[in-house]
Amino acid sequence: MPANQVPKEATSVLDRYLKANARERQQSWQILFLFLIPAGLLGAAGVAHLEKTIETIANPRISLANLQGQVVVRGWDKSQVHATWVGLSPRVELDTEVLPHKGPAEKVHFSTHVLDPLVSGKDCAADYTLDVPVNSSLEIRSPQGSVQIEKLQGDASVESVGGTISVTDVAGHLSVRSVGGNIEIIRPSGRVEAYSITGNLHFVSPTSSKLRGSTTSGKITYEGDFAPGGDYTLSAYSGDMEILCPPSASFELNAKSVRGRLENAVAITPRRHAPSPPATGYSLLGTHNTGEATVELTSYSGTIRIRQQH
Amino acid sequence: MAEERFGESAACWRFDAELPAYLEGEAAPQVTAHARECQFCEVVLADLEELRSASRALPREEPSRAVWANIRTALAAEGIIHEPVRAWQRWFGFLGVSHSPAPIGALAGLLILASMLLVPSKDLRRVGSIGGASEGARVAIASIGYPGQDSDLLRTVQDLEGSFQARRMSLEPSVKAIYEKSLESLNTSIRECTESVQREPANILAREYLLAAYTRKAEVLASALEFDAR
Repeated sequence: MPANQVPKEATSVLDRYLKANARERQQSWQILFLFLIPAGLLGAAGVAHLEKTIETIANPRISLANLQGQVVVRGWDKSQVHATWVGLSPRVELDTEVLPHKGPAEKVHFSTHVLDPLVSGKDCAADYTLDVPVNSSLEIRSPQGSVQIEKLQGDASVESVGGTISVTDVAGHLSVRSVGGNIEIIRPSGRVEAYSITGNLHFVSPTSSKLRGSTTSGKITYEGDFAPGGDYTLSAYSGDMEILCPPSASFELNAKSVRGRLENAVAITPRRHAPSPPATGYSLLGTHNTGEATVELTSYSGTIRIRQQH
Repeated sequence: MAEERFGESAACWRFDAELPAYLEGEAAPQVTAHARECQFCEVVLADLEELRSASRALPREEPSRAVWANIRTALAAEGIIHEPVRAWQRWFGFLGVSHSPAPIGALAGLLILASMLLVPSKDLRRVGSIGGASEGARVAIASIGYPGQDSDLLRTVQDLEGSFQARRMSLEPSVKAIYEKSLESLNTSIRECTESVQREPANILAREYLLAAYTRKAEVLASALEFDAR
């Protein structure tokens, strides 16, 4: 047998080995693909999930800056901030600043850092869910995202360009501004200031004693009572305004409109020495029940409706 | 006490002159020496020292981003600072589309520019202002009883609007749409209130709405410039 000739038995063994090896490799690749494909899909989706718990004082200052996405903040009884952050693109990351560096935090700042300044839209999006001490004060800037705040005793300031803002059960001073987004404020008990240009304002069951709301072309809806001694000022330009109050509500009314209509369905006793009405436009000045709160409603061309809740 | 101070004027005047430098940390032994001799100046110095130490204890407040955006806009408008410009922005800068991030934006800018060049100049003036205050509005607001405030406010709005026009191409379309819708709404209210005030100069509510609309417009423009500066 020539030296370079391989015996038949050896060839068949080698062949079997190579075939078996190939099958094994194929199976290995199949298994690897089974793991790699979902991982690749997740990577391509670029979703990042982070959780952090920060020990704080009882009334820390929490600030948050997010461009797009949903922000949910809830007050809880612990002296801790628990943050869940979901970055919806690989081009964003979470920045957290905690002060002081040692001991319980007095200030916590969260911000979504966009890694590529040229990206926009959903590539900048991140969602936040924060549980914060109930006495925290909040400052949130979320230009294009929605903001939802629940159960807070401290002050809250929220700014948005187009996102909707919903605030429920906040007892501190509330300052809410959105250029084009709708604002909904449910059961506030502290001072309230809410401003929008094209967005709607919706107040539900406030117990605040000072409330200011203004929108240019949005609609204003106020559902609830007025606190005795309270001061309420609502102003719309072209949007309509609707006041729904219980029969027991007690307020002094000063409603004026330059070109809009006034539709009143509650019993108003006109003032004895009312100031002279404007030369043009519509006005209604008087007292409902004993007039304990002061309610000032103004519009330029929107209709003002005052009705009783059933 | 004041008469006593006038009595020793020379030393007190020198004390007054050297006090700012002393409070800024410069060596001024005459200040402390005089304070030991003059009861009035001693009280002044003690009050100022107390104010200084109390102010050190105050938390440092960061000015809002709107303040920085407005300062930057003002400095850029005066040519003191220049915004960083990318190479492609420099190439297209002379066409007036320097802030568009995509080539398609540059192309759109070229088309807009071409169409603007083809429009008669009277119409161009109308297109150039995003519904800004008309000449009638300027006259009206200048004559509605807040001369100082209103002219300042009007100038501020015009300056901010100029900056916004220069930068609006760089805003994301959805954000730009929100700002433009809001500005359109405010411009409508400015126009309507101006007409009301011209028709009925005694209409206080219309005046208030006019002033509020200008104020809101300034706020919206500042917010847009701030957004652009993120």
